[in-house]
Amino acid sequence: MTYLLRRLVWTGPLLLAVSLAVFALAEVLPGDAADARFERHPEAKAQWRARRGLDDPFLLRWGRYVEGVVLHFDLDRSYLDDRPVGPELGVKLQATFELTLLALLLAILVGGTVGILSAVFPRTPLDAFGSLLALCGISLPVFWLGMLLIVFAVNVLHYPFSSNRFAPDLDVSGFVTHLYLLEAPLRLRFDVFFSCLKNILLPALTLCTIPMAVITRMTRSAMLDEIGKDYAVTARAKGLRRRTVILKHVLRNALIPVTTITGLQFGQLMGGAVLTETVFSWPGLGRYIVEKGVEARDVPVIVGGILLVATLFVFVNLAVDLLYAVIDPRIRKQVA
Amino acid sequence: MNRRWKVLGRNRTALLGGLLVAVVACMALGADLIATHDPETRTEAFRAPPSRAHWLGTDENGFDVFSRLVHGARSSLLTALSAVGLALLVGLPLGLAAGWFGGLVDGAIMRVVDVMLAFPSVLLAVAIAAALDERSLTTVVLAVGIVMVAPFVRQVRAAVLQVKHEEYVTAAVALGCPVPRLLLKTVLPNCMGPILVLATLSTGLAILDAAGLSFLGLGPPETSPEWGVMLTKAFRYLRHAEQWILLPPGLAISLTVLGFNLLGDGLRDAFDPRQSS
Repeated sequence: MTYLLRRLVWTGPLLLAVSLAVFALAEVLPGDAADARFERHPEAKAQWRARRGLDDPFLLRWGRYVEGVVLHFDLDRSYLDDRPVGPELGVKLQATFELTLLALLLAILVGGTVGILSAVFPRTPLDAFGSLLALCGISLPVFWLGMLLIVFAVNVLHYPFSSNRFAPDLDVSGFVTHLYLLEAPLRLRFDVFFSCLKNILLPALTLCTIPMAVITRMTRSAMLDEIGKDYAVTARAKGLRRRTVILKHVLRNALIPVTTITGLQFGQLMGGAVLTETVFSWPGLGRYIVEKGVEARDVPVIVGGILLVATLFVFVNLAVDLLYAVIDPRIRKQVA
Repeated sequence: MNRRWKVLGRNRTALLGGLLVAVVACMALGADLIATHDPETRTEAFRAPPSRAHWLGTDENGFDVFSRLVHGARSSLLTALSAVGLALLVGLPLGLAAGWFGGLVDGAIMRVVDVMLAFPSVLLAVAIAAALDERSLTTVVLAVGIVMVAPFVRQVRAAVLQVKHEEYVTAAVALGCPVPRLLLKTVLPNCMGPILVLATLSTGLAILDAAGLSFLGLGPPETSPEWGVMLTKAFRYLRHAEQWILLPPGLAISLTVLGFNLLGDGLRDAFDPRQSS
């Protein structure tokens, strides 16, 4: 109990410290988007800076920012056109979320299966193949993989690759969210669904390689750990079929560390997707932060974007810890 | 210690990893001897196919691809090793202090580490590189190295906590050994296994991260012979060129990282059997 409670209580100060760190990073950023905007009108720039309160002391600006975020969900306004950056970041976040979710799903499916099979048939060609797959996943630069995939898909398979989220002639005016892949089937708009699926497939395949490798390795070692334990041997000795022992007994226990690592991967992917997004021109959050924020020096985009990802990351990791207690009765008992 | 090196020597995949790393290290050290051209001098041939004069052809600027690849080994290794060195330099003392002193020192250090770990690593590297605002290998080293500090602190701290209550440490304390000497001569040598493993695996990761920063336009300038830059430019000129130009820099990065990963896994099996997979 104390551990989880401490984690929960610590989350608030942690996020405050994170926001301070991002703010400080943005502070040392040389120049900002306003330089280009007011290039010929230095006096207009001074007025604008005064209006936006940009000449106030650092801590005051930080306090005002945090207040805006906490009380009004306001992520400040762009330096380029004074429009709020929150809504745009939200749209981009949904694109990244969908991509990350699908990639993680693929990773769990492939990584979990390969990991289990490797542990059940250790030191076979299958196991070797699994190890090789995992090694490649953590060794190949993800953006190189994306490039190769594009070249292969376009030139060899003649795959109609496009960097939009769906075909531009489709009408999605009724959609509430920007999670098209999830919302389309609910609205029975299968044309949108398949169009989205077609465009998200290549980036998702690329993005899934790292988590797939991590999950494969973790599943294999966790399964191998559990297979040798007394309870598994006992279950076999009392006459249960091997398949039953592995799927019902061993897998359940092996799942605990695998769940943790999968959750952590989800958090990493939300930010790490930036490379995949850039290769495929996927309109996601990471690419938006780099292109609109870092390159154009639009400070609120950088601060808001990174803060958004970091906050999500912290909460995902917290959720993983909670989930850990839920799926493992032994911990649940300690907690209660 | 000797027995462990023998275990490593019998591990064939680890030896393969070591071999890959050795080849890249030789390329890096002897780059000037191996390269057939100067990597930053334009030749008359643009986008030439492989030939006797240009073993891997030339790129769109007329640079010899093979020579750039060889020199790229130097900058890649130098960048990655400097980044890991930086992470060690900062992470080792902090981890030692956190693990050994515990209490407030531990609390303060680990809270800072928590904040650093609250960022997905790629994005933090991007933010640091952006704040430094200088397109150079130094920027990449700083960005990648700072991101790696937190995992190093954690690993060193965990290793210290494991040996802290061993009898030989208690004995050294009882003998009145001064703390700095105790940490350097007794504690640290017994923590080297996991640290060595992490450093090796991190070197591979640093090469990937550095290439990623280059790809996002936050790395060294476009003319420098660096694998990430080469790959990025090859991708950009893909429309006008043969598709195989993606292969040399991509394979170079992949094989080097693979080498470090194989070696790191082997080291883990030899030095840290409890954590091996």
